[in-house]
Amino acid sequence: MGSIVEPWAIAESGNANANATAKGLSRELRHGRTAHNMSSSSLRKKSDLRLIQKVPCKTLKNILSNLQEVILGTKLTVLFLAIPLAIIAKSYHYGRPLIFGLSLIGLTPLAERVSFLTEQLAFYTGPTVGGLLNATCGNATELIIAILALANNKVAVVKYSLLGSILSNLLLVLGSSLFCGGIANIRREQRFDRKQADVNFFLLLMGLLCHLLPLLLKYAATGEASTSLINKMSLSLSRTSSIVMLIAYIAYLIFQLWTHRQLFEAQEDDYDDAYDDEVTVEETPVIGFWSGFAWLVGMTLVIALLSEYVVATIEDASDSWGLSVSFISIILLPIVGNAAEHAGAIIFAFKNKLDISLGVALGSATQISLFVVPLSVIVAWIMGIKMDLNFNILETSSLALAIIITAFTLQDGTSHYMKGLVLLLCYVIIAACFFVDQIPQNGAIVGVQHRNIAGGGFFST
Amino acid sequence: MAGIVPEQWSAAENGNASMTTKGSSRELRHGRTAHNMSSSSLRKKSDLRVIQKVPYKGLKEFLANLQEVILGTKLAILFPAIPVAIIGTYCGFSQSWIFGLSLLGLTPLAERVSFLTEQLAFYTGPTLGGLLNATCGNATELIIAILALTNNKVAVVKYSLLGSILSNLLLVLGTSLFCGGIANLRREQRFDRKQADVNFFLLLMGLLCHLLPLLFGYVANGETSADLIADMTLNLSRASSIVMLIGYIAYLVFQLWTHRQLFDAQDQEDEYDDDVAEEETAVIGFWSGFAWLVGMTLVIALLSEYVVATIEEASESWGLSVSFISIILLPIVGNAAEHAGAIIFAFKNKLDISLGVALGSATQIGLFVVPLTIIVAWILGIKMDLNFNVLETGSLALSIIITAFTLQDGTSHYMKGLVLLLCYIIIAICFFVDKLPQKQPNAIHLGHQLMNNAVNAIGQGVFSS
Repeated sequence: MGSIVEPWAIAESGNANANATAKGLSRELRHGRTAHNMSSSSLRKKSDLRLIQKVPCKTLKNILSNLQEVILGTKLTVLFLAIPLAIIAKSYHYGRPLIFGLSLIGLTPLAERVSFLTEQLAFYTGPTVGGLLNATCGNATELIIAILALANNKVAVVKYSLLGSILSNLLLVLGSSLFCGGIANIRREQRFDRKQADVNFFLLLMGLLCHLLPLLLKYAATGEASTSLINKMSLSLSRTSSIVMLIAYIAYLIFQLWTHRQLFEAQEDDYDDAYDDEVTVEETPVIGFWSGFAWLVGMTLVIALLSEYVVATIEDASDSWGLSVSFISIILLPIVGNAAEHAGAIIFAFKNKLDISLGVALGSATQISLFVVPLSVIVAWIMGIKMDLNFNILETSSLALAIIITAFTLQDGTSHYMKGLVLLLCYVIIAACFFVDQIPQNGAIVGVQHRNIAGGGFFST
Repeated sequence: MAGIVPEQWSAAENGNASMTTKGSSRELRHGRTAHNMSSSSLRKKSDLRVIQKVPYKGLKEFLANLQEVILGTKLAILFPAIPVAIIGTYCGFSQSWIFGLSLLGLTPLAERVSFLTEQLAFYTGPTLGGLLNATCGNATELIIAILALTNNKVAVVKYSLLGSILSNLLLVLGTSLFCGGIANLRREQRFDRKQADVNFFLLLMGLLCHLLPLLFGYVANGETSADLIADMTLNLSRASSIVMLIGYIAYLVFQLWTHRQLFDAQDQEDEYDDDVAEEETAVIGFWSGFAWLVGMTLVIALLSEYVVATIEEASESWGLSVSFISIILLPIVGNAAEHAGAIIFAFKNKLDISLGVALGSATQIGLFVVPLTIIVAWILGIKMDLNFNVLETGSLALSIIITAFTLQDGTSHYMKGLVLLLCYIIIAICFFVDKLPQKQPNAIHLGHQLMNNAVNAIGQGVFSS
């Protein structure tokens, strides 16, 4: 078989060409896949099973081929090495910044593999459950990091990393996709379906409202209102808002997977045409249900382990690299966490398939903002940690402008490289802002009142 | 000066339409921006009959040249304000008179600079000409800003640039849409929104650059010294300025090379075909034009110097705050020529040109003049940052967002123009009633002791020098 020239086509091509006879069926199956998955799959390669065929014992052969599919099925395989290295570094007490770096690198291929596994499981569970599974596990890494940071009582890291993930999806992933797509297709008109993008913006704007109100509550406070009263108000508001956000997310899933499927399907038709000329390979699940399930559980555990390292060593890394924790959480963590999707989005933009790129970037941003964030607040509630939706003023404003600029950019359903460039430059400006922001993190604890009023959210625990 | 052409704005333009040289004239026109087209609406055909009678050839050419440059505009009547202002300075006129006269004198100069860059574009070719126009289009604003900087009046720089953006977005655009809407009440008014959109992305990016340094002040807690915050703000502002300039360069590349067709749409209207077919040629030579440009720039610099030096006295004797004068009066006068042009094109239902003028000018100031000023200040060792105050940034943000929404659907009616105009009036009133003393740190008094700390830090930027 050997590796094929355009690897991203392989995992998909079966789907796309879906031997004309089973066209209807395969379309059904594909509903389980989101643009997010499509994009990650661009990094996959066909694994070569020849070596394994020579292994005599059948069980061993099965195990080996299974292993090969899961571990070697991605171009990021080489980064898996970072995982044992991180664990070794941890047990031999190497420098903590080193552990931080290695764990981050190790997380990159894992994020892609989780998306591969959920896709495999979707073959067995049917399209709807599969779609749900994808929607939930799509940003599993972010969710696990958030929950572990919560367990370590690092509320600021949770907020920063989730905010950074939204910003990076909206500005960096989208910006570089539009920019590269615009340069590569400079003479062609680039069109996309704006209805799909719009749905995401309504939800993101709603999320923004939920972040804005607790923030303003603190500014509205007059001198007499005690800090604890304000914190209590902000906390109850945040928890209520979180429940509302989750309701909206469930409605979004229903909208996307049942009632308005056709809105989100447009991209797949597009997709079909693109690969009709590629090899016809029947797409079947390459691993069994239980084996896939076991792998998923195992991977999740490894992600949890690495996330634990990341969360535990972030302050030391910040000290020794001379970067603020906010810069590392807002800029570095998301860049690494989204690397796989990012690469996929750019590749599709190069091929002038903007709908898929947009689906990845916006879908991911919506998922984090309307699912991961409120879930973190509710998990914190269950754990008895006082986490509210009040990101600080600088962060909330960056988010607000990022959403507004992106929404304006995508208003007219066409794209050119200038749009991508402006988004990228906005990301650079926001990154520069958090880079120069050297205001000490723990200042508020010392109890300067107005900082408490403004920044109390982060440190109210 | 008998032969004034009935439709003056067509005089300078109609040459373009000459059928024989359509292709080449279209190429030539790439050097011209909507900005130029609009200014040229104030031009009139000068009548050379009187000069023909002058016997001596060298003198004749010199006089013809002089007439083209000086008398080629309907604003020529304002030129006497320039010598009066200069004489006034030496004869000890009251400072507020000098201020007023200098402002009047700047109005025709702004128009003439745009005429000269257009003339030079005939010699340099379309691309270089486009660049020249893009750079000199707001020369007056740039010169005033740099002179105010050297006089260490950072607040005046910020106010006047902000005012220029506001006036372009709300006043110039508002009156154009309003007048155009009234004049074409029964017709549909359409424009190409793609061109407008590009400007808004850039303006929003500029807004982000203003917003982040502003917010630094609010994030600050008690232990963070004002110094640290001022330092952070300054670093961020300088980095952002470089990013903004990169954005502007990309915008020029986008506009002049890769996506020319987006901005050419406005040229393709056959508006001038019914006018006299006249070959458009340069009316003055390259070196003469260049010399005039240098000379005009020097005069602009001189008048700007007067304006900057006398603004406080004018403010006191007229009872208007410096912020009102810088944000409202300066830009109205500085943009008068473009303003008139934009309205005339709106009357003719050529909204694309009006939009090109107003938005192009706002983008140019927001993404080119502002960061350039920051970098010049950096070179001069002056600590100027991008932190306009909260009132100013808020006005800017709402102006950009309202205008962007107004232009979303590619059509216009007088109501849109009226709303923009009313917004401008509200902002003007806001700065008119704003009597908070300049030297006090800031505009907000929440009566909150600790809030004032933050506020101090914010106000620092404007007055730190």
